[in-house]
Amino acid sequence: MRRPAGWLGALPLLVFYAFVFGIPLAALLAGAFTSRGEPTLANLRQSLEGGNLTAMIGSVQVSAVVALSGAVLGTFLAYAVVTSRSAALRGAVLTASGVLANFGGVPLAFFWVATLGNSGVVSGLLGLPSGSLYSFWGLVFVYLYFSVPLMVLVMAPALDGLRPQWREAAANSGATAWHYWRHVGLPVLTPALLGGVVLLFGAAFAAYATAAAMGAGTVVPLVTLKIANALTSDVLVGQENVALALSLDMIVIAGLVMAVYLPLQRRSTRWLR
Amino acid sequence: MFTPRARTAGAIAALTVITAACGAAPGTQGTTAEGGVDARTATSAADFGGFDALVEAAKKEGRLHVIALPPDWANYGEIIKTFESTYGITIESEDPDASSADEINAVKTRKGQDRAPDVLDLGQSFALSGAAEGLFAPYKVQAFDKIPEGQKEPTGLWVNDYGGYISIGCDANKINPCPTSFADLLRPGYKGKVALNGNPTKAGAAFAGVYAAAIAEGGSFDDIQPGIDFFKKLKDVGNFNPVETTPATIEKGETPISIDWDYINAAYAPQLAPKGLDWQVNVPTDGKYFQMYAQAINKDAPHPAAARLWMEFLYSPEGQNLYLKGFARPVLMPVMQEDGTIDETAAAALPEVEGEPAFPTTEQVDAAKEKLVSGWDAAISG
Amino acid sequence: MAAVTGLERPLSPGPARPGRSRAWRAVVFALAGLYFLVPLGASLWYTIHTPTTGVSFAPYAELLTAEGFISSLALSLALALATIALVLLLTLPAMLAVRLFAPGLRPLMEVLCTLPLVVPPITFVAGLSTSLRVGADVLAPTPFWATLIAIQDPGFPVVLVLAYVVLVLPFVYRSLDAGLRTMDVRTLVEAGRNLGASWPQVLLRVVVPNLRSALASASFLTLALVFGEYTVSRLLGYQPFAVWIVTVSGSRGQLSVAVSILSLLLVWLLLLAVSTAFGREKK
Repeated sequence: MRRPAGWLGALPLLVFYAFVFGIPLAALLAGAFTSRGEPTLANLRQSLEGGNLTAMIGSVQVSAVVALSGAVLGTFLAYAVVTSRSAALRGAVLTASGVLANFGGVPLAFFWVATLGNSGVVSGLLGLPSGSLYSFWGLVFVYLYFSVPLMVLVMAPALDGLRPQWREAAANSGATAWHYWRHVGLPVLTPALLGGVVLLFGAAFAAYATAAAMGAGTVVPLVTLKIANALTSDVLVGQENVALALSLDMIVIAGLVMAVYLPLQRRSTRWLR
Repeated sequence: MFTPRARTAGAIAALTVITAACGAAPGTQGTTAEGGVDARTATSAADFGGFDALVEAAKKEGRLHVIALPPDWANYGEIIKTFESTYGITIESEDPDASSADEINAVKTRKGQDRAPDVLDLGQSFALSGAAEGLFAPYKVQAFDKIPEGQKEPTGLWVNDYGGYISIGCDANKINPCPTSFADLLRPGYKGKVALNGNPTKAGAAFAGVYAAAIAEGGSFDDIQPGIDFFKKLKDVGNFNPVETTPATIEKGETPISIDWDYINAAYAPQLAPKGLDWQVNVPTDGKYFQMYAQAINKDAPHPAAARLWMEFLYSPEGQNLYLKGFARPVLMPVMQEDGTIDETAAAALPEVEGEPAFPTTEQVDAAKEKLVSGWDAAISG
Repeated sequence: MAAVTGLERPLSPGPARPGRSRAWRAVVFALAGLYFLVPLGASLWYTIHTPTTGVSFAPYAELLTAEGFISSLALSLALALATIALVLLLTLPAMLAVRLFAPGLRPLMEVLCTLPLVVPPITFVAGLSTSLRVGADVLAPTPFWATLIAIQDPGFPVVLVLAYVVLVLPFVYRSLDAGLRTMDVRTLVEAGRNLGASWPQVLLRVVVPNLRSALASASFLTLALVFGEYTVSRLLGYQPFAVWIVTVSGSRGQLSVAVSILSLLLVWLLLLAVSTAFGREKK
């Protein structure tokens, strides 16, 4: 088969990529290190101090909490689904997870405001103090709505990969359930688990629309909101380059997280072949 | 991979599409009115050869492109309609929820396009920075000399148009008694009820709310920290509601007390009355903060004559009175009160304020904004 | 935002597991059901009930006539279809070509197609809007200026399609990759070519039919993403569906929540349709 054809087929994609992804990224890098037309590190410094630092830490905290709690809850739910004997239930839950994992953003915020907002339907019933939704834990609670289904989708195939023969073999050798999980189950699941945690972290870290629509930005500092503020503010002028520096920080953090994810993901798929 | 015929067909198609969307930016072309006047460089009605010549030139252009003008903000809805019907010029009002930064962005990104905004209504800092960046065209409206110094750029790059005080709006049916000062807001009966019009680090009205609180709490134009501390206190006693006020949230009962510009709050009252809400507006007695917005003409406006006519309209008694009808205080108000062109009923309907406003300098405002942006998150989330 | 739809590996109920107590499973499902269904119910109640006027379905009735609903929905639909077409047209030939002719390019493809995941949409749009602004200045004297302007035309912003393709690329790549892996591409393509089929024929009649599930999954993901996309559209100043929902929420709270509920239903129905149509295929 002709060699050049490989490049030819991939050429449109590569050209597209270079233009549509490469140019904005280059602009981002250039702008992050420029201020008033001169190269400088001031933007980067500003992006890591004061309100911006608070926002970065806030984002990492929210994402970490969402990732860990979502992972635990999602794994339990996935296990319940996978060990259920009803195919209909499995199908329903997996379909629902497929929908909800992709459904975030603005409508999610509206649902929760209607439910647990200050004049929400349920907050009156539960006697919640005003403003409870617009807090760190309120945001985490809302973010779980797409995080738990995402974890279910990641863990269900992995849990399916736990062959029942292993369980039987372990039982025959006198292992208790605890032993089984500790020495067989969890090690096998660990790559998928870690991969799921990383995926959840990335999704929560990058989330913007939900937090913006909830108006939580006034009390929960998030770096995505800060970037949007710097780009479209009515208060401070000329903050675009700081927004780019903040974006660069975000990409670095997301990159580090992803660098952990990819090898883990490859390992987990290899296990399940 | 594809047959030669398919390849050539594809290439031709691609070339057609590309060339269709090709072309350099149009060079500067002035719209010539009668007598060969270039509307782009006209700095006053006299440059057109008189007001009527300006109207002619504007009518020839036939369109005006505006941005960030919500219909219920200082009565812009009626202003736009009146302008359209008086001069027969169609106004395209785009993106009413845009911020001042969005407006400046639109000017920069759409330079030379037909959908660039012609005129801008900006927060003060943005007017100043835009002028410094050379985005605006100088133009002196006919009433230019009557506008007080300090409320206009000397060559007319930007001119203040209307302003208002920070006020406390309150649903009297749900809240009794309605707060009339910042100190009142800390009362225990207002748990979870006091809201701002957005995030102070992003929304101009919310920033002004914090600034006004600073004055109320013993700070000054140089010291916004007491304002930040006030809101921290408000949050600690549980009265602060982070939800951004909109007519929908007020109607729902989610934000029965709202700190916002007085013209915004006052405009809610007739809007909400049919829904059974009694919306009252009070300018806080302990923290008065007055701020004006500014009009500017895009230097590369696609409809330069219409843009200048729009300015003339806004600064005519009719235009200024329409602002007044929207509960905003027009810049020419003291002048109009003296020569009797003011709309008395509208003036009487304004929320009551005692005394004259004091204006911070640009440096003070900029410093306060910096201080707020760096300190707000830590204070309010901690 | 998500990486999977659950369509890639159709799961069948495994062999009977050793009996687990039903109680804890019931508890888990009950709690999950509560958490996921209550907000939907509460939102539904919110849209039909107001303290002053009692129960009424008015928000749903005035949906179609609400200003901007049809136009923003149509815009989102058009953008979604264009995005699906473009992303598949770009990705499928590239992946096939790499798989068949240039396996050495594979790692590069994988890195490139996963890179957008590292760039959160908000950062991407920050760079994109900067490029557009600077581009307008830099390209002004060149013929490409009008191209740059044309792609930002609010009637049909091609720039949004381009941005969406980048955002959805990792997910489409993974979907197609999974599909290609389970199908023995090399053999099938060779067989087709040996039987005298031309390349387009091979593509259309050999590869695509075998990839139906992966293509459906990729299309569904793209559709869901485009409809829910808020960040890029809002910051570039356009008003497709998700942006319209937020804009209208300031004045008509019930309407925007009603629309949100309907959009969720729509996504759900789409996924069901896609999975029933293609889920029957066994790998």
